[in-house]
Amino acid sequence: MTESPTLASADPRTSGVIRVADAGIRFQRNRRSRRSFKDLFSSRARRGRPGEFWALRNINFDVVQGEAIGVVGRNGQGKSTLLKLVAEVILPDEGSVKVSEGVAPLIEITGGFVDDLTVRENVYLTAGLHGMKRAEIDAQFDEIIEFAEIGQFLDTPYKHLSSGMRVRIAFAVISRLEEPILLVDEVLAVGDKGFREKCYRRIEELLAGGRTLFFVSHNERDLRRFCTRGLYLDKGALVLDAPINEVIDRYNADYPSA
Amino acid sequence: MTAAVPERRAWSPFARYRHTLWLLTSRDLKVRYSTSFLGYFWSILDPLVMAGIYWFVFTQVFNRGVGHEPYIVFLLTGLLPWMWFTGAVSDTTRAFLKESKLIRSTKIPRTIWVFRLVLSKGIEFIASIPVVAVFAIFAGATLHWEVVYSLLAILMQTVLIAGIGLIVAPLVVFFRDLERAVKLTLRFAFYASPIIYSLQDLPAGIETLGYFNPLSGIFSLYRAAFFPDAIVWSAVGVSAAMSVALLAIGMVVFRRTERSVLKGI
Repeated sequence: MTESPTLASADPRTSGVIRVADAGIRFQRNRRSRRSFKDLFSSRARRGRPGEFWALRNINFDVVQGEAIGVVGRNGQGKSTLLKLVAEVILPDEGSVKVSEGVAPLIEITGGFVDDLTVRENVYLTAGLHGMKRAEIDAQFDEIIEFAEIGQFLDTPYKHLSSGMRVRIAFAVISRLEEPILLVDEVLAVGDKGFREKCYRRIEELLAGGRTLFFVSHNERDLRRFCTRGLYLDKGALVLDAPINEVIDRYNADYPSA
Repeated sequence: MTAAVPERRAWSPFARYRHTLWLLTSRDLKVRYSTSFLGYFWSILDPLVMAGIYWFVFTQVFNRGVGHEPYIVFLLTGLLPWMWFTGAVSDTTRAFLKESKLIRSTKIPRTIWVFRLVLSKGIEFIASIPVVAVFAIFAGATLHWEVVYSLLAILMQTVLIAGIGLIVAPLVVFFRDLERAVKLTLRFAFYASPIIYSLQDLPAGIETLGYFNPLSGIFSLYRAAFFPDAIVWSAVGVSAAMSVALLAIGMVVFRRTERSVLKGI
């Protein structure tokens, strides 16, 4: 990097675009357990009550722009929770998660789509909610539709699409967001083989364009294909933060049959 | 390495907020109009039917001793803002639950889930104002300059509903029973608020108590458009203070509960 040192702290290429410091988040073990109005007014530190567990705790890492991070771990070890923290759709109970650039979250991608609106209206709605301006959506619209291979259903209500088409159009919209950070949960397990490969090529394209990737998957091949660095989560702690091959080897050593 | 990430034009947070608020509000309107044939008329039909019933009961059946003449205009000037209030407050009980999929997947400032309901019901209220105009013309009510107080009333009501919404919306996530409690309270509040009667019709002892219903002052401001002597300034003062206080409490409750709400949905 050739930037002057005074600029370095503000430059996402040298300082983190994602900075997670001592982050921790707690969940209720039993969803139905009682809450009292008192909880609202006691201080945050004193609110640790029995029945709660730390899904993640003492998590520390920085991600610089252009890195491709793969998150590894067994089910229920906090992978998706970490992804949601980075997407800022949940907030940490302690520590901090700072994301300094815009995020395109491929998490529950169909979440913002409305059954009663047409495909066209849904594209404008979802892209707009993610911060795209109308003119930008206009410019991208044809590409989005072409990617989703859904041209003849533009004015069909979303509820009448097949589940495959729903995922395709959702992926097409979110992957066009032009945000510098891309978060991918295992959503891509859906859709047929051909489309999945197309999605992967799109992700590679974005990576080549300098995007930062944060990828949660159980699939070793995919992880090695996209990621350079791995985060290994186990029992709510960040066990290893190393190059992806090292992380996968360690994971396989810990859980041989997994 | 030359990163080719396109430089994004920055939204100011306020512009982004407004943009998102507008998108969600227009989404709701679009859904309503694409799924129902009568669309707009449903939002005025409800208060019209209620006004019709009360007008019949109190002017044809009973010998009415409350309110002002023409009674139908008196009723509507209370009923329409009441529809805004009750519609928005009862919708805030489902503000998070109904949108849980979107909240879990997209980062949107959380207060939007409450404010968009205040806004969309407020738009419906504004859209229903012509109904009052029509009845005022046919019933021969005169419009006074005090109609400008309606703007103050709209402002106060917005603050009041936003405050209540910020309190109710997150608490319902933890206490589902609150949803039914709110519905019941609203039904009680309908008769406890000066809608079918005016504040001055209350017996002396209860009248002062009525001031502490924040809706009393607000409704008296709306009614001043046709009935200038309906205005009770002390009630307006109490309303304003309570609305601001509720908004302040709402902000605190909302901020305190935000992280738990996100986990709970």
